[in-house]
Parts: sequence; C-alpha cells; structure tokens
Amino acid sequence: MAGSNEVNLNESKSVVPLNTWVLISNFKLAYNLLRRADGTFNRELAEFLDRKVPANTIPVDGVFSFDHVDRNSGLFNRVYQPAPENVTTWGIIELEKPLSTTEIVPVIIFFHGGSFSHSSANSAIYDTFCRRLVSMCKAVVVSVNYRRSPEHRYPCAYEDGWNALNWVKSRTWLQSGKDSKVYAYMAGDSSGGNIAHHVAVRAAEEDVEVLGNILLHPLFGGEKRTESEKKLDGKYFVRLQDRDWYWRAFLPEGEDRDHPACNPFGPKGKSLVGLKFPKSLVCVAGLDLLQDWQLEYVEGLENSDQDVKLLYLKEATIGFYFLPNNDHFYCLMNEINTFVHPNC
Amino acid sequence: MEIVSDSSSPSKTKDIDGLLANVGYKVRSSELHQVAQNLERLESAIVNSSSDISQFASDTVHYDPSDIGNWVDNLLSEFDHTASLPYDFSQLPDLSAPPPQHHHHQSSSTVNNVEEDSAIKLVHMLMTCADSVQRGNLSLAGSLIEGMQGLLANMNTNSGIGKVAGYFIDALNRRIFGQNNVSHQVSLYENDVLYHHYYEACPYLKFAHFTANQAILEAFNGHDCVHVIDFNLMHGLQWPALIQALALRPGGPPFLRLTGIGPPSPDDRDNLREIGLRLAELARSVNVRFAFRGVAAWRLEDVKPWMLQVSSKEAVAVNSIFQLHRLLGSESDSNYHSGIEMVLGWIRSLNPKIVTVVEQEANHNENGFMERFTEALHYYSTVFDSLEACPVEPDKAMAEMYLQREICNVVCCEGPARVERHEPLVKWKERLGKAGFRPLHLGSNAFKQASMLLTLFSAEGYCVEENQGSLTLGWHSRPLIAASAWQAVPLLDAETLRFDC
Repeated sequence: MAGSNEVNLNESKSVVPLNTWVLISNFKLAYNLLRRADGTFNRELAEFLDRKVPANTIPVDGVFSFDHVDRNSGLFNRVYQPAPENVTTWGIIELEKPLSTTEIVPVIIFFHGGSFSHSSANSAIYDTFCRRLVSMCKAVVVSVNYRRSPEHRYPCAYEDGWNALNWVKSRTWLQSGKDSKVYAYMAGDSSGGNIAHHVAVRAAEEDVEVLGNILLHPLFGGEKRTESEKKLDGKYFVRLQDRDWYWRAFLPEGEDRDHPACNPFGPKGKSLVGLKFPKSLVCVAGLDLLQDWQLEYVEGLENSDQDVKLLYLKEATIGFYFLPNNDHFYCLMNEINTFVHPNC
Repeated sequence: MEIVSDSSSPSKTKDIDGLLANVGYKVRSSELHQVAQNLERLESAIVNSSSDISQFASDTVHYDPSDIGNWVDNLLSEFDHTASLPYDFSQLPDLSAPPPQHHHHQSSSTVNNVEEDSAIKLVHMLMTCADSVQRGNLSLAGSLIEGMQGLLANMNTNSGIGKVAGYFIDALNRRIFGQNNVSHQVSLYENDVLYHHYYEACPYLKFAHFTANQAILEAFNGHDCVHVIDFNLMHGLQWPALIQALALRPGGPPFLRLTGIGPPSPDDRDNLREIGLRLAELARSVNVRFAFRGVAAWRLEDVKPWMLQVSSKEAVAVNSIFQLHRLLGSESDSNYHSGIEMVLGWIRSLNPKIVTVVEQEANHNENGFMERFTEALHYYSTVFDSLEACPVEPDKAMAEMYLQREICNVVCCEGPARVERHEPLVKWKERLGKAGFRPLHLGSNAFKQASMLLTLFSAEGYCVEENQGSLTLGWHSRPLIAASAWQAVPLLDAETLRFDC
C-alpha cells in the first residue's frame, strides 16, 4: 500500500506551468474531500466549492451565452455564440432566423468532464473553455448540464445527452448553410467524451446525423490493469483508486468495469462495423494513466472500419486545455478547428 | 486630512493571475509558489493521516473557495482540530413550514409549435416597442402594444412568457400614456398584504433573513450587549428566529436591542410599536432581555444616526434587505453626496460589527431605457418562472402583484420616483469598498442553512451558489438575489470623516 500512496509531487510540477499545477491540484484536493468511502458523495460541499458563472447575453471577448431550461427535466443547456456584428442587437437572443443562410456554422454539443460526478455546464472552467471553443473554432457550442452520479447512475447521462442532441438538431435557429440544416458535432472531455461516444452510437443506430465526435482524454476503463495505469498511478494528479470510485458511482450497482459503458470494445462490448458512426478526433494526453484504454478505444474504432484520428500529446497531463498557457492547448484548438471545418 | 479607505489597492489587483481569474480563482502570481507548497503540505498530511477526510471536510466551515491560498491555509489549520458545528436554524419551531407538498410541476410536454412561435414574436415585439419608446416614437409604440395585446389574446397567459409579458406590456402602456412619474402608489396596507404573500410563495425573503441572521449571530459572539438596526422592519418576520437563536446560545443570551425603521403609520396607529411589542413578548417568553425602538421615516435618507441611539458599548448589526438600492437615485440634503453615500457614511460612523446586505442580483439601474427594459424582462421572466412552481394560492397571485409593482417602477418611472434601482453584487462590492467597508465572508455553514431552507420549498429549480464570500439564490443557473456581509474598516485616530452625519 505504501507504494501507491507515495506522493511524488515533484514530477507533475515539472511538466506543467505553475498556475496549471495549482489549478489541477486544487481540484484534486477538493475532489478527495467530497468522495466518501461508502460510495456516497458530499454534493452540498461540491456545489459550494464549485466556481460557477452565469450566462451573459452581452458579448464578452466576442462571445455571448444564454441558458435554455427544459421545463420537464429541469436541466439546462448553455448556448454560446459569436457576437453579432450589429451592436444594437447585443443582448437580444435570436430564436427565429438561422445562423447563416450561406455559410456552414458547426454546432458543437459539449459534455463537460468531471468523472460523471463533478462540475456543471455553468462551472467557470467549462464556461471559459466553451467560450474559447467558439472564438477559436468559429462554432456555436451547446453545453449540456447532464445529471451526475452517484445520484443518477448509468444511463441517465446518456439519456440527457441524447435529448440534448435531438433538441439541438430540431432548432431552426441553429441551422446554417444553403441546405438549412444543423451541422452537429459532439465533444467532451473525460466523462464527457465517454458520453459523446455512447450518444453517437445511439444516433447512428437511430439514423440521427452527427458529423463528428471530439473526445478529449475520454473516460474509459476495464477490469484489467493496463501498463499505463500501473506505471502512472498517482504520478500526474490521478490515482487509480479514485478512478475506481467514480466507476462504482456511475455504473449500475453490482456491475464491474467491463460493463460496455466503461469498456465499449471490451469483452461485453459490441462491434460498430457497418454503423454510420461519425468520424472521431481522439486526443490522448501522454501523461494520463488512462491512455492505454483510450488507445484501445481508437483501435476499436479502427477495427470497426470507422474514421478516427488520434492526436497523441506526449507530454500533456489531464486538464491541459483549461488554461491556454501551453502548446498542447493551441495544437488541440487547431485540430478541432480543422475537424469542424473540413472544407476550408 | 482625508484618508480614503480602499481595501483593494490597484497594485494588488494587477498581480492576480489572469488565467486563474478567468476560471474563478484569485491567486496572486507572487504567491503561486507558496500556495503550491501549502497544497503539497496538505496533501501529505491527508495521505499520512488515518482520519476520515470526508468527515473532516463536512465538519469544517469553508470560506470563499475562490481564494485558494486562504482556503488551503484554513484546511491546514483545521486539520488537527475538531471543527465547531454550525448553528442549525431549521431546528427552531418558528421556522417550521407546512410539510413540503409533492407538487409535480405539470407542463405540457409538447409545447405546440404555434405557441412557441407566438412567444418568439411576442418577445420581438416587446423589444421593438421598448426601442420605439426610447426613440420617442410613441405612435409606433402604441400600435405595437395593440398588436401584442392581440397576440396575448390567443396565448396561454397563465404561465411562461405570456404571463410575464402581460406585465411588461402594461408597464409600457403606462409609460407611453404619460404615467411616467406616478410611482404606482399602493397603500401601505396593500403593500403589507402583498409582502406577506410574497414571503410565503417563494424563498427569496426567507433566504435573505436566514442568511443575514446566521451572519449576525456569528458577529455577536462574545458580546453581551447587541443592537440590531433593521432598515425595513415590515412585519418583523426576520427577528423571531434571531431571538430564539440568541436565547439558545451557549453562555446565555445577550441584551438585545432592536431598532426598526419603517414608514409612519396612518391615522393614530403605530405599526412599528405594535410589531415591537409582539417581538418583546416573544423575547420575554424565551428569557431574552429585549428593548425595541421604532424610527418612523418615509425614506432612509431622512433617518439621522442620532435617532438610532447607538451606544459605544454595544455590538451593532445593520440589516438592509432590499433597501440600499432605493437610495441610488436620490440626492441628499447636502450638495456633495448622493443619498447612498450619505447613508453609507453614517452607517460607518456607527462602527457596526456587521452590516448585512441583501439585494436583487440584476442591473436595473442603467440610464438607457432599452438596456434596463431588456435586463428586467430577462430577470422577471426568471422570477416568474420560479413562482410558477408555487402551488399555494392566493400566495402566488399576490406575490406576482408584489413583483408587478417592481416591474412597473423599473419600466415606467424616472428620477426620484424610480426607486427600484437594482444593481448587481459586483457594483455593490465596489461601492461598499469605497465607502470604507470590507467583506465578511459567508461560509459553507450559511450555505448549508440556505440549502436546507430550499428543501422546504417544493420547486426544484432553486439553487444557492457561493460567490467569493457572498451567497446568491437563483432559479436554475440564474442568480436572482445576493446576500453579503460587511464590516467597517477601522477608523484611524487622525482620520476626519468624509461625510457629515
């Protein structure tokens, strides 16, 4: 036990800028305080500690946002759009006209991370990230406030994701291009990436068009312990035992990590051969202990004859994209930009 | 000689790490190393200890998580001590509400497309109408009003945009037809009745009272003579809970004085005194020595500090629930300062232990009519949404009327008649900072109180958020009211007060 508890913090400090280190370590500390050994979660303290920001219909740095609340579910989606050129229309939400009748404006449905348990669509880190996505990738972003575990286990998050996808696809004001349709992509980091995958599978099975999936160090796993898990356990902000806690909190009680939600190409998984699955951009951080699972995922897509591009960032840790103070961030944004504007 | 007390010097704010600020955290660049070190120390301490970390975290009181340095320091120092438990207001008999009703909000699961289209058109017309009003094109505005009334006739006006739009159309109508400066006079009695139903229908007032009381209770720790000054006594609904809490405090209750400010009563009545008598009765029943004084004034600007008879031996709490914003449009007697500066000045001169401030979290004080109108439309739509889930009549209908008065004031009135000059917390922080106050942080214990309060309301969209030491209560992701606490920065010996009392 002593080995896995050994904390060698110097390693992580040497690979990220200091402010990033403080940010991620702070999250790690807070998260440790919230998880209880009996599998319950201190939701109240979690909400107290989480930094949230309201939406803002007045553009800030060229991006404005507003929340749409679904009266039935009580869940909201936060929509981020580029500021309109006409300053007199600032503050007014356009819900009739399409985004454009000439150009194609990609709409990225974003699922925030947090291992299925933490954060919200209005968490400051994710609000800022979505705003950057809009300005750097010239897209509209819809961030989904899905239900979290352990209060809401599998398949709640996937259902919320599916509902959000259908909501987005049916908004006339999210349409663009000469053929007036919604150019929908899905994206997510950590658990959000996992959600994007599963929603995409359902979309493919039910013939709902998704043009692409962007997965940032997505959360996958399995019963076996991979080399990267053994090698990197506790080294770069993440411990294996914590990952296990989150799966126990998310998966149906009694299930293990080979459940297909966790291990889509594992022993209980299914092949996607023949399915009209969207092209995928999978970003793997080289210092993430889950990378072997993510690489298996990429392989699984390839074996199913699906279009997938792997972006392997060798010296990146988890959460490298929260602050724009490293090369990985800009590299990622570039890739996403190209991914959602394939004809430019 | 004039010393301006300024709690945030410019050089200090420049040093804050900008990227961390963008994601909600305040850490000075020069302190990053120290903070990192403390994070490491805390991590080691946790890893090497056998105690239950989640229990420790639950028992500790946390403050302002955006200040990572202080938050970590607090945890480090608490780590080996047992934390004291927060006072549980919900245990008090006075606060027991009727059992929560399991009312599942019924809404049509398919808003038919026609309804949704009408809603969109209606909002567009409202904006265009407000714009025409701003430009002075009153004939266009008038015809738009007719058009909107026509649309409304075919819409559901019992909920959603149809309902709140009705109030805004009405307000625009009044403005156009020259009722600008009629400050929508309501009799004091009517106001009282509406207030009471508003208090029952939604948690905003209760949240304000609970949160302020928690902070006042803590500020009064260790003091034997305490004096609360309530800027708007109304029915004194806030005070039974505080009296009870003081009665039960370890070591026994202090001597409590309450000064309630309110409008003069009509006829021969003395409403303030009546409320005071009731509170005195309650205090007597729980053995709290209590004295009450009523100060009758139409406006806060008319109150002079000597009327409050504050003694230097007592710990003073000034309590302002939705009152400060009313001072923003007025001019004071002296030529130099506005009403708000004058009042903040004399509050400070009382040297209060704590000033509790609750205000609407909205920007309804812009000079531009269009901006104000748009803001108000978004804000009150959200408030009305939250009210929709209230199952109790006539509380709900009366609460709506209470809010309608606010809407009318924001939309129709100008000049001194416009008293609903709501400003967001960020502006209040600036104002109070400049006036010589520094924030007292509300912590996770107050957050817990507020969360518990919300469980008494059946609607599930209410949410409490922590915002750098203040707490906000909102509907879904939109904060609607903000509660904060303040303390006067100590006056230095040689300082001359800027303001005359």
